[in-house]
Amino acid sequence: MASLDLVAPASVDAAIAALRTGAPGEVAVLAGGTDLMFDIDRGRGAPKRVVSLRRLPWRTLDWNGPTLTVGSTLPLRALERDPELERRHPGLFQAIRAVGSVQLRHRATLGGNLGRAAPASDLIPVLLSLDAEVDLVGPRGSRSLPVDRFVLGSRRTALAEDELIRSVRIPEPRPSVYLWQRVRPANDISQIAVAAAYSPSDGRWRLSVGGIPPRAVRVPEAEAVLVSPSPTDSEARAAGERAARHLAIVTDRRASEEYRRHLVGTLLERAVRSLATEPKVGR
Amino acid sequence: MTEAPGSLRVNGRTVPLENVPTSERLLDTLRWRLGLKGTKEGCRSGDCGACTVLVDGVSMLSCLTLTHEAEGSSLTTIEGISDDPLGRAVQAAFERAGALQCGYCTPGFVVALVGLLRERGTSASVEELLSDLGGNLCRCTGYVAIARAVELVRTEAP
Repeated sequence: MASLDLVAPASVDAAIAALRTGAPGEVAVLAGGTDLMFDIDRGRGAPKRVVSLRRLPWRTLDWNGPTLTVGSTLPLRALERDPELERRHPGLFQAIRAVGSVQLRHRATLGGNLGRAAPASDLIPVLLSLDAEVDLVGPRGSRSLPVDRFVLGSRRTALAEDELIRSVRIPEPRPSVYLWQRVRPANDISQIAVAAAYSPSDGRWRLSVGGIPPRAVRVPEAEAVLVSPSPTDSEARAAGERAARHLAIVTDRRASEEYRRHLVGTLLERAVRSLATEPKVGR
Repeated sequence: MTEAPGSLRVNGRTVPLENVPTSERLLDTLRWRLGLKGTKEGCRSGDCGACTVLVDGVSMLSCLTLTHEAEGSSLTTIEGISDDPLGRAVQAAFERAGALQCGYCTPGFVVALVGLLRERGTSASVEELLSDLGGNLCRCTGYVAIARAVELVRTEAP
């Protein structure tokens, strides 16, 4: 078994310093480890040095006015079980429930999901629809990026080699929904997933689509169709059709391009209709 | 920059980590170092739940956990699950419902259900418990009897 230089620094400064010890590309950050574990076993290309965040004080969850701030190493299950989450952020709650199993969510984290930037992430689409911001900390201080400028591609982020994700901020509660299609409902990976959210503060819709490599995206062409908080059925259908037409979609081992385009249209239409007809929760 | 490794506790017994390689998974430590073969290896990729253990009372996948990451924690495996009344109640319910065929997935189901009941208390419905057991696969597809065991334990648990 390959030896691994595993360290668990007890302070943020020590963790950042630990990231800078080691050759670029050979250092990995471990939060829950549910995805990183596959790299550790890989042999060639496996990280030589792993910096565990388990001793950092980032397992936090704060509601401050309209803003929700989630520490990057809080297990997803703790976020899911927060008594306010489902009411204030139904789409985020549904997306978290779609990640793996309870056992997996006891370890997996929001920071890990963003940092690993898997193309099939169940959390990135809904974070896009909620205009979530990623708070980073590094040797030059702190900075924040919106999720769409943080996740750059498949397994690619704007995170520098010596930076860590400290927290994720969601600015306001929004009526939101997350829908997906899979081969197996439980503990599987989505072939297509969509998130929809309506912002009561600016009166605009956000529609996003995940499960399409290289990364989840917002669909402004489809958002432009929706001009009221309660779109008609035909507007909802038009939004879905536009997204299905405009998105770059590929065939891979999980689903064909044709099937994915069909799913994008159907699921987005359904998502918008469910928010248009339901009472507006979120506040 | 290697730290002095500590220890963890498994079913009440202290296990020093100094001879455990940093890349070793908890599943392998339990089965091959400690001889606790009740924790099963199914998929080794977090998809089947057969390797579920409790870490500080919370269900986790031992196949996706580095042993050193559990340093300082207190673990319960299927071998230690009958040390408390809830564990015994779940085992008894599986027995009464005949909730096993080949038995390979059973330890994972029992440990996962104990973890859920501990986490949710009496607030969870049978439907919610079954939904939250979605990460445990029974390759024999013997889910009907497993669901019956969940119902039994839900009505009779201490």
